Amino acid sequence: MKFRKFIRTYRPFTRAGMLESVAYRANFICFLLGEIMSCFIMFFVWRAVFNETQVFSGFTMEDMVVYLFITFLTGYLTYSDGTYAIATEIRDGSIAMRMIKPCSFDMCFLFQELGNKIFNVLVIFVPITAGVEIYRYVITGEWQFNIAYFLLYIVSLILAYLISFYFNVSYGFMAFYLKNLWGADILKEVIVNFLSGATIPLAFMPAFLETALNILPFSSLSYTPVMIYMGMYSPSEIVYRMLFQVFWLAAMILLSKLVWKHAVKRLCSQGG
Amino acid sequence: MRRMLRLHRIFVAQYMKNLMEYKVDFLTGAISFLLGQIVQIATIGIIFSQIPHLDGWSFEEILFIYGFSLIPKGIDHLLFDNLWSVGYFIVRKGDFDKYLTRPINSLFYVIAEKFCVDAFGELLMGLILIVYSVIMLELTITWYMIPLFIVAVLFATLIYTSLKIATAAIAFWTKSSGHITHMVYMTNDFSKYPTTIYNKVVQTIITYVIPFAFTAYYPASYFLGEGDPLFRIGGTVVAAIVLFVISVLIWNRGIKAYESAGS
Repeated sequence: MKFRKFIRTYRPFTRAGMLESVAYRANFICFLLGEIMSCFIMFFVWRAVFNETQVFSGFTMEDMVVYLFITFLTGYLTYSDGTYAIATEIRDGSIAMRMIKPCSFDMCFLFQELGNKIFNVLVIFVPITAGVEIYRYVITGEWQFNIAYFLLYIVSLILAYLISFYFNVSYGFMAFYLKNLWGADILKEVIVNFLSGATIPLAFMPAFLETALNILPFSSLSYTPVMIYMGMYSPSEIVYRMLFQVFWLAAMILLSKLVWKHAVKRLCSQGG
Repeated sequence: MRRMLRLHRIFVAQYMKNLMEYKVDFLTGAISFLLGQIVQIATIGIIFSQIPHLDGWSFEEILFIYGFSLIPKGIDHLLFDNLWSVGYFIVRKGDFDKYLTRPINSLFYVIAEKFCVDAFGELLMGLILIVYSVIMLELTITWYMIPLFIVAVLFATLIYTSLKIATAAIAFWTKSSGHITHMVYMTNDFSKYPTTIYNKVVQTIITYVIPFAFTAYYPASYFLGEGDPLFRIGGTVVAAIVLFVISVLIWNRGIKAYESAGS
């Protein structure tokens, strides 16, 4: 009963998010083409690198290509707009409208964003995974696709998205103190991209840094699911890394609740 | 021209007041751009820790090309960033009326209105990389290289700006074109690395279609002693002039097609 009520409350948000993304599909596709360009640049850079050497820190050219494109896909699917959305609402004061609605603040955002993602998933998930698998087939001469790793990747990806969502919500609440979050948002992107392994595999970094980054929450956002997809982890490692993701998810949810409790007292709408 | 410069100063001053309201935010933005560059350079550093040459280029040579690419990009970012807003929302919201009703050229007005301080992150990084790599490579600098460098940078900047003008102007017909500007603009990242690492298709596109290769690799490789200044520097000048003429034509036709939106 409670569950049905939950669904009934939040379904409109998902629907709105979905309609929004379909309305702006041309923008989305152009944006995507612009972003994926960086993958192709790195593809050529790595091709030149692998002309000089066969193996780079345990990665072959084939591994590197899978890594580049699956990391891009993971980054796209786990991307959460929470920080920007919340900061905007705080700045223009429309957050007050959210607070008087009879639904949970973060859940509204979550379900709206999920609706937004449905269209994106349809457009990019299949082409990228299919492209990567065909590339692997052409290079190695046999299908490398592993359904078990793939399903585990999906689970890990969902965990990664939720961690990213709650992290971004907590971060967005900083706007209660800073008012304008444009600079801090870019800073976050740069740092998270580097620490999560989205720029370059953590395995390429100096040993002490790799160990440290594996413990921090950032590797749960991108590196863990990608490594699972590539079959780089043993079964016990997969279990361990996923438990780690669950732990950080719980920590992020707790953090967002604490920050909300503290920050809401300071709310001072600028107009709106 | 003097009137334009005076107006530009007033616009910049006005914009700076705006920025001062959120100075912490803008400082963080500039630092973040700088940090983003450092991360990318660290990536190149990690690559070169295991191989001596990339397609025949040494670490310092790659840094020189990379640093060179940041200078025109940074200047364009500093002075002409408002063009993004035209495609993203100024036309869509009908706010472009403002630019048409003032007694100055609309293109100049749009460009001069904003001044993007966070570009100093890119410019600073570009200069550091160029100076560092010139010293490490012990490049001999002859007197005529300095004017050639300035010419190359100025016309490379014009390539960036022209592409932004042309794509922003599409919004006059379609109401919104920020995503097209974004798609074209992102191609500039190809210019940070030697064009020789790409395949023929990519090479042709970034040389003749969206000529970003002329904003960094071609002129930079001339200074690295690859010879043939006629193509490497001259090409930059020609590409920039052709693009600029085309983009101004598109802009002017676009203004005639512009219909205000909203109330």
